[in-house]
Amino acid sequence: MLSESEIKILEYLSKKREASAEDISKQLNIPIESVFSISQLLKEKGYIEVEEKKVIKYELTDEGKRRLKEGFPEEKLVKLLDGKEKKIHELKDKLGRDFEISIGWAKRKGLVKIDGDTVIPLVKDYEAKEEKEALINPEKANKDILQQLLNRKLLIKKEEKILNIRLIREPLEIKPALIFLTPELLASGEWKKYALREYNVEAYPPFYPIGKKHFFKEFLERLRDLMRDLGFKEVYSDYVEIEFYNFDLLFQAQDHPAREIHDSFAISGKGKLTDEKLIERVKQIHERGWKYNWDVNISMRLMLRSQTTATTARVLASRPKPPIRVFTIGKVFRPDSIDATHLIEFHQLDGLVIEDNFTFRDLLGTLKEIFNGIGIKEIRFKPAYFPFTEPSVEVYGKIEGLGWVEMAGAGLLRPEILEAVEINSSAGAWGLGIDRLAMLLLGLKDIRLLYATDIEYLRNRKVEINADN
Amino acid sequence: MPTINIYKWRLLNELKISETQLEDLLFNLKSEMKPIDQDHIEIEINNDRPDLLFVYGIIRSIKGLLKKELGEPRYSVKDTDYVFEIKEVPSRPYALAAVVEDIKFDDELLKELIQFQEKLHITVGRKRKKIAIGLHDLKKIDSKHIIYTTVNLDYKFIPLNSDKEMSVREILESTPQGKEYGNISLLDGKMPAIMQDDGQILSLPPVINSEKTRINTKTQSLFIDVTGTSLDTVIFTLDVIVTNLAEMGGKIGRIKVISPYVDKSPLLQHKSIKITAEYINKILGTNLNKNEIIEYLKMARFDVNDLGKEIEVIIPPYRNDILSQIDITEEVAITYGYNNLSPSPYKIEKMGSLSNRTKLIRILRDLSIGGGFTEIFTFTLINESFLLGDFVKILNPITVDYNSVRNSLLPSILIFLSKNQHARMPIRVFEIGDVVIRNENTETGYSNKLNAAYAIMNSRVSFEELQAPLHEILNSLGINLVYKRDTHPLFIEGRIASIHANNKKIGIIGEVNPNILEKLGIEYPIVMSEIYLDEIKDIL
Repeated sequence: MLSESEIKILEYLSKKREASAEDISKQLNIPIESVFSISQLLKEKGYIEVEEKKVIKYELTDEGKRRLKEGFPEEKLVKLLDGKEKKIHELKDKLGRDFEISIGWAKRKGLVKIDGDTVIPLVKDYEAKEEKEALINPEKANKDILQQLLNRKLLIKKEEKILNIRLIREPLEIKPALIFLTPELLASGEWKKYALREYNVEAYPPFYPIGKKHFFKEFLERLRDLMRDLGFKEVYSDYVEIEFYNFDLLFQAQDHPAREIHDSFAISGKGKLTDEKLIERVKQIHERGWKYNWDVNISMRLMLRSQTTATTARVLASRPKPPIRVFTIGKVFRPDSIDATHLIEFHQLDGLVIEDNFTFRDLLGTLKEIFNGIGIKEIRFKPAYFPFTEPSVEVYGKIEGLGWVEMAGAGLLRPEILEAVEINSSAGAWGLGIDRLAMLLLGLKDIRLLYATDIEYLRNRKVEINADN
Repeated sequence: MPTINIYKWRLLNELKISETQLEDLLFNLKSEMKPIDQDHIEIEINNDRPDLLFVYGIIRSIKGLLKKELGEPRYSVKDTDYVFEIKEVPSRPYALAAVVEDIKFDDELLKELIQFQEKLHITVGRKRKKIAIGLHDLKKIDSKHIIYTTVNLDYKFIPLNSDKEMSVREILESTPQGKEYGNISLLDGKMPAIMQDDGQILSLPPVINSEKTRINTKTQSLFIDVTGTSLDTVIFTLDVIVTNLAEMGGKIGRIKVISPYVDKSPLLQHKSIKITAEYINKILGTNLNKNEIIEYLKMARFDVNDLGKEIEVIIPPYRNDILSQIDITEEVAITYGYNNLSPSPYKIEKMGSLSNRTKLIRILRDLSIGGGFTEIFTFTLINESFLLGDFVKILNPITVDYNSVRNSLLPSILIFLSKNQHARMPIRVFEIGDVVIRNENTETGYSNKLNAAYAIMNSRVSFEELQAPLHEILNSLGINLVYKRDTHPLFIEGRIASIHANNKKIGIIGEVNPNILEKLGIEYPIVMSEIYLDEIKDIL
């Protein structure tokens, strides 16, 4: 790609084949310095050959220019004498500043002689012909004259660089360069007359803010896809919950330690319960099973749900017709000290299967399928205790570098619960804490990074490609 | 879950197993262990198994799993001539007592017994409210007639760990136990007390015992009292203690009780539950025969009567977690081994589906990314000072930073931006998330609301800079928008509009008021918007 000036010079050279930089500068009206730098570029691109020479050049000084125009002082003296003797003071008045110089040079050249205070002319006329010619054409002048003029500071000597430029490669097509294409250039076809200027394409670009999905939300969406793919229907419920759905319907006794104030966030006010039949049945199963007086007022207290099993409880309370498979992914809230592994709000995945003859082995098979889908191939089952399930099981998954990690609680719903919601089929349910799992699978050292407040962290975070397995 | 510290060599020597084996066996008892030092381990015990809170309870269960002993152990029980008389104690009406003789303690075992008592107080006892236990050196009791009654606050005795007589009032006011538990049972100026018939106090339940009957490593026989507000729990607690002491060789002594509800204790109460192999197999998905099931139940330390088609399972007095057939079934599964139950192959019966809510969120996320916004994910909980209008306030917050539930996404976005003023500009972010608002139509009076919020922060921003992409995003959902001049405390007057569609307000957009920016220490202008997706769902 050639610039406009490069093209101009090449075009000139393709006519002349060879020219000096000075010549090019004059002919193309380009400053000589630019000619030097452009010819360097053209040389690098292989179009020309440059021969560099040093020459001596003489230049008239300001005085030299004045003498050439006004005449030499000795000429003026001879003319002033006009073949007659004259007194020095008279000449001094007339010649002024030039007097000393004119006497000196006239004497040296044998034009006058001095006798006391009188100047006596030896010639009638004098013209400094040789000197003048030498000023006009110093290169051709004889050495003595030249030296004399240099001594008189009418000329100065300069060393100059001369570039002789010769075309060695004909450019294929010579076009001026453009920075931007415009619709006008495209429409008119004018663009064909131009070349597009080269950029420094190896430089880094300026910052460009792109839209990017949040990595933890993507993780949650993949879990949703997995559950849908396994044949589950998504359900959903609110954060503010009454204890009835978070605990009572799930057969968690009202004096159970997990219901104490430090294990869930309480909210002032009371909720309402309208399903009288359900309330009565829940009261019965609690009093029969745990042997205490169940208090409907406790079950109507408000809280931020501490488990997404509250959503499962609401599904049960709606007395769905089996077979059903539902899941929910949502936030839960629990008081805790916030640190690298603990948050006070986090996500759970709860699932529920109600089918005739759904067995404990079916439940284990379902859990295995879910964990395999998350990418955890090795799992282990441990007996566990949850108020609302029997048999109950904890699922441990093997994570590389960490070993066996507790991942979910599950079980078959207790018959007491199914009785309360008048369901005759068997049911399996599970709850899976997601944030801790995501932290392990996404390689985070601090669980708070799932909710990072530093946008540069989000901008710089690599997007997972093989997150499913 | 409660944890206990155990002298590990007693466990390993009595069971003749290695530490690794112990760990595996505990796994099946829903427990996990971790080492404390060379001689001690910490074991986590599940809430449903108070019988495992003492080392001999663990030994009993593991002997079953190892088939060293099967079925319920036979413990020696004899009648004694002690009498326990229960008077009217309105705040804590139930009490029972028992004697255990011929036991040997060492330092470790004594510590573990006291730990057992404490853990029962916390779990079964609900921090001594439901039941409390007194352990006494029987030899130091010099009466055969013990009375459970009430005393007034001037009554005096020497409490445990003291060398001088104190009044009940002083004990309640000045001892740590008195301060912590005194309120539980104090009623009309009277405290429950267990005393000899000569008036010497043995204990002041649920607060403290007397120094008189302090137990030590030389103690060979115990007098145990349990008081509480639930007779069932009192009966069970006494049973679980005496059977665990009997497991270490003690002889249970039954005493005469004068009360309206029982005439002797401990009751060593058994229950029986009938079950069939068919039921168990149907629940578990197994194919076990009756004899196998009987064997597994014996390993779980149940006595079993084979009634032909049915199996009668006798529930020992130390198990309070077996409520019905399903609990028996779990016992079979555990002794059979959860990891021996092969998971069934998974079958998909019906196509699954995502909620419309999720579908809308997904589409909107895609469009927002297309608009050049980066997705952020902020907390739902927030400090109340950031919120306007009606919102949920937490009664027992952990920290003031998170003492409320947001009713708008905008404060979360502003907090996020305030923390990113050092970042490369421009910052263009969005979040789709739940907020909680007042809603009288729900059972709780509140409901979740799904919103989307957008913001641009830069050295120069303008209303249009956000309005333009947002308009395209919402247009892509097929929504025709109308913008109306509006006011809002977060925004600059004249640079805030409400967004309407189908004559419904579906959101707001505006440039943030510099007063707000100043308050949050934000040095860049911001334009932001909040869109109400529930309203949009209704239009679509």
